[in-house]
Amino acid sequence: MAAMAMERGTAAEALVGQVVLPGDLLLLPAHYDEDAEGERLRLSAGTAPQGRLLCGPGLRRSGAGLLVTKCGLLRHRPGGGGAYWVDSQQKRYVPVKGDHVIGIVTAKAGDVFRLDVGGSEPASLSYLAFEGATKRNRPNVQVGDLIYGQFVVANKDMEPEMVCIDSSGKSSGMGIIGQDGFLFKVSLGLIRKLLAPKCEIIQELSQLYPFELVLGMNGRIWVKAKTVQQTLIIVNILEACEYMTAEQRKQALAKLSGN
Amino acid sequence: MAVEMEVADGQCRLRPFSCELGLLSRPDGSAAFLQGDTSVLAGLYGPAEAKISKELPDRAALEVLLRPKVGLPGVLERSREQLLRQTCEAVLLGVLHPRTAISLVLQVLSDAGSLLSCCLNAACMALLDAGLPLAALFCGVTYALQPDGAILLDPTARQEQEARAVLTFAIASSDRKVLMATTKGSCSVEEMQQCLAAAQRAASTIFQFYRDSVRRRYSKN
Amino acid sequence: MAAAFKTVEPLEYYRRFLKENCRPDGRELGEFRTTTVNIGSITTADGSALVKLGNTTVICGVKAELAPPAVDSANKGYIVPNVELPSLCAERFRSGPPGEEAQAASQFIADVIENSQMIVKEDLCIANGKLAWVLYCDIICLDYDGNLLDASVFALLAALKNVQLPLVTINEETGLSEVNLKQKNPLIIRKHPVATSFAIFDDTLLIVDPTAEEEDLATGTVTIVTDEEGRLCSVHKPGGSPLTGAKLQDCITRAITRHKEVKKLIDKVIKSITPK
Repeated sequence: MAAMAMERGTAAEALVGQVVLPGDLLLLPAHYDEDAEGERLRLSAGTAPQGRLLCGPGLRRSGAGLLVTKCGLLRHRPGGGGAYWVDSQQKRYVPVKGDHVIGIVTAKAGDVFRLDVGGSEPASLSYLAFEGATKRNRPNVQVGDLIYGQFVVANKDMEPEMVCIDSSGKSSGMGIIGQDGFLFKVSLGLIRKLLAPKCEIIQELSQLYPFELVLGMNGRIWVKAKTVQQTLIIVNILEACEYMTAEQRKQALAKLSGN
Repeated sequence: MAVEMEVADGQCRLRPFSCELGLLSRPDGSAAFLQGDTSVLAGLYGPAEAKISKELPDRAALEVLLRPKVGLPGVLERSREQLLRQTCEAVLLGVLHPRTAISLVLQVLSDAGSLLSCCLNAACMALLDAGLPLAALFCGVTYALQPDGAILLDPTARQEQEARAVLTFAIASSDRKVLMATTKGSCSVEEMQQCLAAAQRAASTIFQFYRDSVRRRYSKN
Repeated sequence: MAAAFKTVEPLEYYRRFLKENCRPDGRELGEFRTTTVNIGSITTADGSALVKLGNTTVICGVKAELAPPAVDSANKGYIVPNVELPSLCAERFRSGPPGEEAQAASQFIADVIENSQMIVKEDLCIANGKLAWVLYCDIICLDYDGNLLDASVFALLAALKNVQLPLVTINEETGLSEVNLKQKNPLIIRKHPVATSFAIFDDTLLIVDPTAEEEDLATGTVTIVTDEEGRLCSVHKPGGSPLTGAKLQDCITRAITRHKEVKKLIDKVIKSITPK
């Protein structure tokens, strides 16, 4: 594919799974059908069900099509209006509403805790945003604790805000992460891979021995197994996953379970 | 992740290029760019927390630091930092990350000619590696005008010294427009336009090289 | 009403004017502000000039000193330009060591001197390997209202044209230099570089000689330096909005006309101060 062809724009479908660079223009089927009606874009010709096309991270709408703003692999999810996004290997986390992350408490400021989540500014967490917390019954949170929570406010202009309860007031797994265990950082791409449904890596690891695992979308992973040694083995395997192919990983795991 | 490249562009050739992405573990994005024997290492941090004094309410504050191979940065480095910063700002969608700081550190490893264009290329690759939102890409191209009037692409330090004029352009990937231009020595208007047109042609080759480098990086997973 | 609109939506305010091909201060897009030059303003300096571009005021003083030339260039003198942006000239400049803008401007002036060959450094040599002139060109901005580079280059050129160097001879017997203050010679200026700056508005419109306000709102600037033969001494576009080659050509064409205007002005002023 010649570079020059990219400037005039290429059909988005043709590029799914391939590397795209900022400045590339993706054309949507609706365009070469000359059938765009404002925001509503038809993905297949004829009377197929129409839906709103979702334009995910790394893409912007630009007149005729989509403009790539991040480098990475173009992904597509059919269904509804369809969704396009760019899967990029970033290290720096930018808070997104709804993301589950692991934060480190850095300060207690009156009614809120300040949490370092790896973004450009600390996130705030109210002491009331825990399951069963009331003004009398405050959660026992100390500076340095790890908290697994969810963003309820995250946009570029405001301070991000986290909670440790879902909409029905239940903790559903969120809250302070227990003592011991090991926290480490990986790239955001690997986290997304691990969190994908039916992730092979997690399934393979779970056959080794039992362990607890918390994955934060901000690239942080917390692991705890029965012994320190077992914990570190998991840590090393997960860290190495970034640079291993599926084959290499299976070999490494086979070696471990053999012992 | 190094890609070797040598391309004929008329009589002009680019020296072999090579680029490695994400080689440093601490920065959010890093790149080492080699053009012949000239090499520059770039590290990028951000969007990170900004100092109150440097915070901008509507966009990210970009800071570029250029470290020479030996000694402390002087007036020349400061003026190049300004060129590099304003070039990056033109493509960076800083409005998406207001009140944050992005710092780009460029360390010159060796200077064997066309240093500024190598810095530009390293800066663009670091921006790509960090996954920052960009409206377009840019690349640096240097031309030397030889005393006999011939134009020479991507000159070495020796060729730069002998040249009558040295012109460096930053070309944007969208419509091949000029983002940055700076000249050393004097030339006629026609010669400048001739170099610019040639730089726009050479840019295609460099952008293709960018694409190949990124593709190699992503082929690993 | 207009004042409020300007404060709330400065960019939109400008766009309305630019659409009508004029600017809030009444100028057309390709029109310079009134340029005035005063040569020999500092009597204690060896050469000086004060340049005003509208409100932008820049003063340049040249001080000549004697020094032995560098070992690797025994037949060359030195020119040391320096641009100062004191906290006096605008609110955003702080006192203390020079900021990025001042340093970048100093480098630009040094590049213009080097590129244009306005003064050949060999001319500054008095005795090969022994004695040469050092010209300290200090450019100080007194009032910053945009377009610093054009005003600085103009002030530098006018000040250098004003320089009168005393005759220096080396006494063969003693080896000491003798300065004859009675016999003064002007400096040989080989080329007359003139800078023309443009601001880019909304990625497309080019306006010449931007004020500080216009520079802040603009998305980029370009500075073109030409000499009297129409050769380019510098094309300086420090980032900002991308331009096509054709737009750049428009800038150069305008810069060449500007050169003629400036040259005429400087010749007139020089003529007026030389005793008949």
